[in-house]
Parts: sequence; structure tokens; C-alpha cells
Amino acid sequence: MTTVLRHHWVVRVTHWVAVVAITIMVGSGLRIFNAYPAFARRGQSFCCYPFAGKPIPNWLTFGGWLGGARHWHFAMMWLLALDGLVYLGFLYLHGEWRDLAPRKGDLRDAVAMVRFYLFVTKHHPRQGKHNALQKLAYFTMPWLGVVLVLTGLAIWKPVELGWLTSVFGGYVWARYWHFVAMSLLVALVVGHVFMVFTVDPYSIPSMITGRYDERCSPEARDARPLYHLAPCAREDGPADA
Amino acid sequence: MRRREFLSATTLALLAGCDRTLSFAEHANEKVERGLFRHTSMDVARGRFVTPLPAYPSYFIADTVPMWDAAKRGPWTLEISGMVAKPLTLNLSQLAALPSVTQRVNHYCVEGWTAVASWTGVRLSALAALVQPRPEAQYVDFQSFDDGYHESWDLPSAMHPQTLVAYGMDGHWLGAPHGGPARVFSPVKLGYKNTKYLTKIVFLPERNGGYWSDQGYEWYGGV
Repeated sequence: MTTVLRHHWVVRVTHWVAVVAITIMVGSGLRIFNAYPAFARRGQSFCCYPFAGKPIPNWLTFGGWLGGARHWHFAMMWLLALDGLVYLGFLYLHGEWRDLAPRKGDLRDAVAMVRFYLFVTKHHPRQGKHNALQKLAYFTMPWLGVVLVLTGLAIWKPVELGWLTSVFGGYVWARYWHFVAMSLLVALVVGHVFMVFTVDPYSIPSMITGRYDERCSPEARDARPLYHLAPCAREDGPADA
Repeated sequence: MRRREFLSATTLALLAGCDRTLSFAEHANEKVERGLFRHTSMDVARGRFVTPLPAYPSYFIADTVPMWDAAKRGPWTLEISGMVAKPLTLNLSQLAALPSVTQRVNHYCVEGWTAVASWTGVRLSALAALVQPRPEAQYVDFQSFDDGYHESWDLPSAMHPQTLVAYGMDGHWLGAPHGGPARVFSPVKLGYKNTKYLTKIVFLPERNGGYWSDQGYEWYGGV
């Protein structure tokens, strides 16, 4: 056996459901945002958004019009929340949360990864399933999900769940935190996709079939973004033979 | 040709599937929203801020600001009817003579903005007590003289203590841009559900859609 089972089918299914659901949630959310691309209460100003009044480009939005986007947003939110719960429940029951939970030394390891990516050090630091930067990203995503769900509820039901809206500083701020958390999540997703394609494209099949060839890992290849992308040496023939 | 037919049929089926899924989700969400709804949940506008009147958006359906033409239509009245024991018609001074409340609350627009005003008016629950709706009347239709604009509500939202028939805004008589002589104002529904230029309140056994909900916005539109 030259490959290992890297991702359980539950992880693979929830991953791709999340890809679809997050895409639709972000697109429809931006379409909703475009109906009022600002944060200030009418008659007031808002400190912390420099692009007030400038709509998001249409091609980044989904749902066609405000009402349509709202229907998509309020339908897809259940799928995405359920998907997240199944994923997190699986991580907990299967013990895989240990691959993501921060540990002592993660900060040092993260610095070592940055130093390697910046060509300060020559060799890829040793790692487990994920390197320290990946761990940080994958650990942060579910927490952003929690913030997105709570701020989302706070701006969906600012009267019936007024106590929750107050927790985030009122409707205007809750809407802002919803937008900020979305932006951070999108930044992490963009970073994730960039790194997959420029550092470890060999991991893409592992999110479909689950199988991964450890000999092709970035650690084995000393791979940086766009560096050492060529296939690894396979002494005993193709991995899938 | 066959391929194109197949593709367009598939696309139509997918779209129909999406449509059904989305309307299923809308109905499920309405159940959730009704479940969360409490007459004790009150909107509180933070701070002491009130949106200056010119900055307070004024929407209407007609091409120009709808104005009640008393010369043509006689004095403005509000008719409260439908499935009620004692239908009632009030003119503005009769409405204003009823026990009133003044509340500074948020306006939650479907577009995502909020504005704050201080509204003076009569609680819809107080008007309902006068006309005595029958138990089957679980919906209320709010109709206007703005090009046939109307929106129907579920009874619990209409009976919320912050749901008013408002005739005063920020200490003045409600002006034409914001729905005068009287309008529905409640923070428990999105702005588009709050009928301006109100002329009729009709208690109904069934929901009766609404101008914006018929165009595809959520019928419930709760906050």
C-alpha cells in the first residue's frame, strides 16, 4: 500500500457541500449587501467601512435581485449550518479534532513555516497531517462559522432575538461583524485554494477519493508556493498501480 | 435540436426544483419566525438618536407622493372591517382622540438600513378591541390609497404592542412623504410590510398577499 486514507468520507462530503453552500451564501449575501452597500444608520455616519456606497461587482453576487438573494440566503443557511454541525460532530466523535486543536509549539512551528516559505530556511519543517499554518486556518474557519451564524441570527431577528443583537453592539454593528467575518472566511478560503494549487495539488484527489500519497507531500518535496511542484520521485512505480 | 430540447428541459426542471426548494424553505422559515415571535420582545432604539426627517427614506408606489385629495374624495377616513363584530369608520380627529402611545423605535428595511423615528399613534390591539374580530380572523390586510398598495399580516404580529396606526412622527402630524395622514408602523415587520397612506384595515380568515410579497419578497417579513 503506497497511499493512505487521508480524509474520511464524512469529511469529504461535508467539504464539498460546504464549497457549494458557502459559494451561494457569500454570493447571495453580497447581493443583499448591494441593496444598501453601507453600514450607517440613516442620518448617521459609520466609522469603519471606507467603501460605503460602492456596490460589490455584480459577477460576484448570486440570486439576481434582492428578494431572490434573500430566499437563497435563508434556505442555504440551514444546509450550511447542518453541514458544519455534521463536520464538527464527526471531528469530535472521531477524535480528528486533535489534528486541528492548537498545541504548545504551534506558534513556533508557524514561524518556522513562514521562514521556510520566505526562503529563510531551506527545508520544510516536519509536520503531522497539517502544517502549523494550515492548522491555524482550519481551526479558525469553524470559529468564523460560529460568529457568522450568531451575527446572522442577530440581523435576521433584531427584535425577537434583540438580546443577541445587543451582544454584538446593536443591528448596525452586528451587520458589520457579519460582513467582517464573511470577509475573513473568504480570505482564508482564497488562501486555502491558492495553496492547494501552488503547493500541494496532489492533495486534490484525496478530497475526492480520500487516498493520499505521503511520498508526494509538501514536506517530502520541500514545496513552497510554485516551487518544487513537479511530481515526487516514485521509486516503486506509480502510486495508483 | 434534441440535445438543446433536453438541455432546456433539464434547466427548467432544475429551476423548478430550486423554486420549490426555496418556497419550502420560506414556509419553514415562517414557522421558525412565528415560533420565535413574542409580544414581550420589544424593539429598543439604541442611544437617543432620531434620524433627521430629510434623511429618512420615503418610499411609495405611485409616481408622485400620494396625497389624499379631500376635494375629490371627501375627508380622509380609516375603515376597520372584515370579520369583526362592530365595523368602525374613524376620521382623523376621532383616531387622534383615542388613547395614544409614542415610541422611538427602529425601522428595519429589507435593504439592510435602519432609521429611527418617534411614532405617535393608536395600538392596533386597541383598535381591535373596539371592533372585536371574530376568532376565525387570523390575518389582517392593511390597504392604502397609494395605487392599491396593501400588505396582509398574521394576527399575532398585528396585535404586538409596538404595532401602531401612526398619525404622528417626531412630534408632528405625519407628512405625505412618510405615509400621512396615517400609516401602519411596527418594528416587528420589515419596512415593506408597513402600509403607508392607510385607508382600510380588514380582518380576514386567510392571508391576502401584498404588494411586495406578491413580487417575491417574503410574505412574513418578520423582524
